[in-house]
Amino acid sequence: MLGLTRKTKVSTGASLPVLAGLAAAAVFLLIGCLSSDTFAQQTVAGLSQGAIYGSLALALVLIYRATEVINFAQGEMAMATTYIAYQLTLWHVTYWLAFFLTIVIAFVLGVVVYGVLIRPVQHRSVIALVIVTVGMFILIDGLVTWKWGADLKFMAAPFGNQVYHAGGVAFSRQDLGVLLISILSVILLWVLFQFTKLGLAMRAAALRPAAAALVGVRVDWMLAVGWGLAAVLGAVAGLMTEPYVFLQPSMMQAILLYSFAAAVLGGLESPAGAVIGGLALGVFLNLFGQYAPRDIGSSELRLPVAFALLLVILLFKPTGLFGRKQVRRV
Amino acid sequence: MTRGLATRLTAIGIVVAIVVLLGFTMTDYHRGLGARVGIYFIAILGLNILIGYTGQISIGHGAFMAIGGYTTAIMSNYHHTNLIATLPLAFAITFVCGVLVGIPSLRFRGVYLALATFALAVSVPQLPLKWSKWTGGSNGIRTHTTPGNTWLYEVTWACVGLAFVGAWLILRGRTGRAFRSIRDSEIAAASSGVSLPIYKTLAFGISAAFAGVAGSLFVLVTNGFAQPNEFGVTLSLQILIGAAVAGLGSLYGTIVGALFVGLLPELSSSAPLIGSSHGQDVVFGAIVILVMLLLPNGVAGLLHAIDSRVKSAIKSDPTAS
Amino acid sequence: MGMKGRLVAVLAGVAMVATIAVTAASGATRTDPGVTATSINIGGTFPLTGVASLYKTIPAAEKAYFDYVNDTAGGVNGRKINFNILDDSYDPSKTVPLAQQLVSQDKVFAAVGSLGTAPGLATWGYYNQNKVPQVLLATGDSYWGFSYKKYPWTTGWQPDYPGEGKLYGRYIAKNMPTAKIGVLYQNDAFGKNYYAGLRVGLGAKKELITDAESYDATSTSVTQQILSMKAKGCDTLVIFALPGQTITALVTATKVGWSPSATFVGNVSSNRIFMLAALGAGANLNNVYSTTYIESSSSQKNLPGVKLAASIVAKYAPALQSSFDNGDANVMYGFGVAWTFVYALQHAGKTPTRAGLMKALHSLNTTKNPFVYPGIRLQTSAKDNFPIEQEILIKWAGQDFQAIGKLQGGVR
Repeated sequence: MLGLTRKTKVSTGASLPVLAGLAAAAVFLLIGCLSSDTFAQQTVAGLSQGAIYGSLALALVLIYRATEVINFAQGEMAMATTYIAYQLTLWHVTYWLAFFLTIVIAFVLGVVVYGVLIRPVQHRSVIALVIVTVGMFILIDGLVTWKWGADLKFMAAPFGNQVYHAGGVAFSRQDLGVLLISILSVILLWVLFQFTKLGLAMRAAALRPAAAALVGVRVDWMLAVGWGLAAVLGAVAGLMTEPYVFLQPSMMQAILLYSFAAAVLGGLESPAGAVIGGLALGVFLNLFGQYAPRDIGSSELRLPVAFALLLVILLFKPTGLFGRKQVRRV
Repeated sequence: MTRGLATRLTAIGIVVAIVVLLGFTMTDYHRGLGARVGIYFIAILGLNILIGYTGQISIGHGAFMAIGGYTTAIMSNYHHTNLIATLPLAFAITFVCGVLVGIPSLRFRGVYLALATFALAVSVPQLPLKWSKWTGGSNGIRTHTTPGNTWLYEVTWACVGLAFVGAWLILRGRTGRAFRSIRDSEIAAASSGVSLPIYKTLAFGISAAFAGVAGSLFVLVTNGFAQPNEFGVTLSLQILIGAAVAGLGSLYGTIVGALFVGLLPELSSSAPLIGSSHGQDVVFGAIVILVMLLLPNGVAGLLHAIDSRVKSAIKSDPTAS
Repeated sequence: MGMKGRLVAVLAGVAMVATIAVTAASGATRTDPGVTATSINIGGTFPLTGVASLYKTIPAAEKAYFDYVNDTAGGVNGRKINFNILDDSYDPSKTVPLAQQLVSQDKVFAAVGSLGTAPGLATWGYYNQNKVPQVLLATGDSYWGFSYKKYPWTTGWQPDYPGEGKLYGRYIAKNMPTAKIGVLYQNDAFGKNYYAGLRVGLGAKKELITDAESYDATSTSVTQQILSMKAKGCDTLVIFALPGQTITALVTATKVGWSPSATFVGNVSSNRIFMLAALGAGANLNNVYSTTYIESSSSQKNLPGVKLAASIVAKYAPALQSSFDNGDANVMYGFGVAWTFVYALQHAGKTPTRAGLMKALHSLNTTKNPFVYPGIRLQTSAKDNFPIEQEILIKWAGQDFQAIGKLQGGVR
């Protein structure tokens, strides 16, 4: 492993300054929304975009917690499972049935990927692990393009197209649906980790594999479950994204970038942080694009601005907003 | 160590001979291919210095290649600068950029550093679109003169030689020792007087400078045409793959890494069954994964393993003199 | 063209014909690369993978047409056309080695139909230096039309984007003189050129443009830009974007409760399949305008060209059947380009030469292309290297577009 880190002391990431900052931001947004329709609309749009970033970021965080690797292929796995759902609908399976079937398939795929590709290299070389995920990125992209082609395809909208209006602000059922599902995912994950034996075993396997094995936790299986769950989250993210960007092999690539930023922003070990990071990023980018002076707010700089924001926050809090402080002992 | 040194010099000699021989006998088209391999060699060498010798993960070298490449294109286009003269210029500019990137990177560790550099890889190619008046935007910008494949082959491999010798000189001296000590334990290095900020940013600078020169040559081999699509994320990933296949912490696997990344995509498209433009990625991705599963420490690791096996075989052989 | 010019043109023509005759006579057994007694090898670079890959139906359609010609007519002058389709993922650093492969390894007669502006710009120096035809480029930028003196071996085919933007500008200036225009355009040359054309077409009425918003290809939504236009009181929306963002823009406009009295969509993205997708996602397509220069396989099924195309698709490219039936313009586009190449090849001499091909392409004058919109004349000359300079405005009605008005000329 590069560098010898023994995390013996951990403190909770949700420190007071961070929470206070977030509360202040929420108040600011509320005031803005009440005073300007455009502000409110941009915020709502930002929230729904951010929910997508957050849901993919959740998958990234889950894998990072389990195996300490950044899965570069997360977006492509999400995309591939979305195509599987698409194929199911082509075979006349109804949308929601296809959704649940896809989730099951995604879980199995995640477990298999872990067992076949990740486990062999996990302890040998960090860089090899990174490269394996990069190889997966390329392989999956190639497979999907080969099987389905790279032209745009379209699926039925999961939540319908109805649009609601509150005051001067419009939001669609789709936007609401995405937001709800992201929040639901975080809650379910939290419940899993805090209140179930499985969750406890998974946390133990990730944090102290040797000790966990000694008390009977099947460490490898727990890590595999972690990957399976992450694949499920990715599938959900992909299916939620499809109505916005439609089906194309490259559909998740731009989103993956923003999701990386969101995951790191929130702290790579915090599921809630990932979603909050995503939402914050989405809202920030929209408002920035709307109100910043023409020159810096221009669209070419959207991605660089996202990463500039990330870098600034990391400079002050190198482990992200909700990241735990890691004390390294020699 | 004379045996080891002799083997290495022979190996280098063989490679040099092959390069020169191929240069004379290859078709023009293959010379272009050969130049591309050389370009990857230089970039991978640079990345290896950073990751393999100081332990700092960077996935953003495509960004430095873009900076170097655009330097060459712009200088040649606007000022008709001699193409070879743009190379040291690109080297200097990307060195400075690398140092500038290295400074905030002092704060980041491991995966955060990887993501920060990844952010670079994604953002820098967007910048020419922003300043399209000077950079040609999405229509790209081209050099004043376009060199032929023979010129490219010769210049690229001359740069490869310079880069290899330069890297070897840097890495065997005090700087190299400082780098290695940082990789093995930053705290130990700092406590023995190695200045972390200086050496870590120096490593970033040198590494970026190599990538910058590779980028200049990359643009030249693309008919002197620099355009954002050439420097996408896949380029950074390819260099990373090359460095991993080469094996980190050693210079001698670099040629294999460069050949791997330079030739495999091309060969993949003629693979049976799925060979085609579509199947190319499938084959390439699958092979990358396989190589990493089988050789997690790259070719250098393989060489090392063979080396130690040979040594232990000799040691345990009672009949050896 | 004055008397002197005409004289020069005639003399040049005579000189060219003489040269060709002499070359043909003296080089009886010496043919250009890619030409054998029974075949002609051509190739092209296309983005079959990567971000711009929704155009892959174009080379597929072109190949189908060449197969049809090979089958029914034995090729051109007894030579069958072999079309090698290569993938460059829209990355110039891949296009260059592929171009070198086509020229020096595969020794093609010509590079036909390659797609993309940046890939084209990266390689036109190379093709022209080696005197290899780089023809019928699939992109609406105007470089190929303008620079034929410096790059005589390169031609385009389709009407260019600025010209199309000009049409919209003229239409708005004439029919909607009090419009408040909001323009959404992609932040690269593609979008910017369209936008520039719009301004030219508006002429004195440029100030009708109330809000111009660009977007980046990596963004997943254009809500912010649409909202900005709505907030500034725009009532006319012009979208110069790729299909994905076009659909998103149309849907977003409807979602935020904004129904512009007219929406203009660049014809790259007004393909029927994209409009149907927008409809399916909830967009209101009333008063959506665009242009076309090709026959529609969905709404003009009785035209002879469409019938011919249908039979070709059925026999030689069944994979394209559903695209064709749904009115995917890329299929007819591919046929139109392929027809033009075959036509030029037929006029390039009994044993075709590269110079002959270029001459044929530089002196086109025909309305016989069955796949382009009826009445469109493919015309080029020594002073004009834009083969197609006419388009017709179309307006969405229910489930498909319908032509309005007459063919507009003077696009360029």
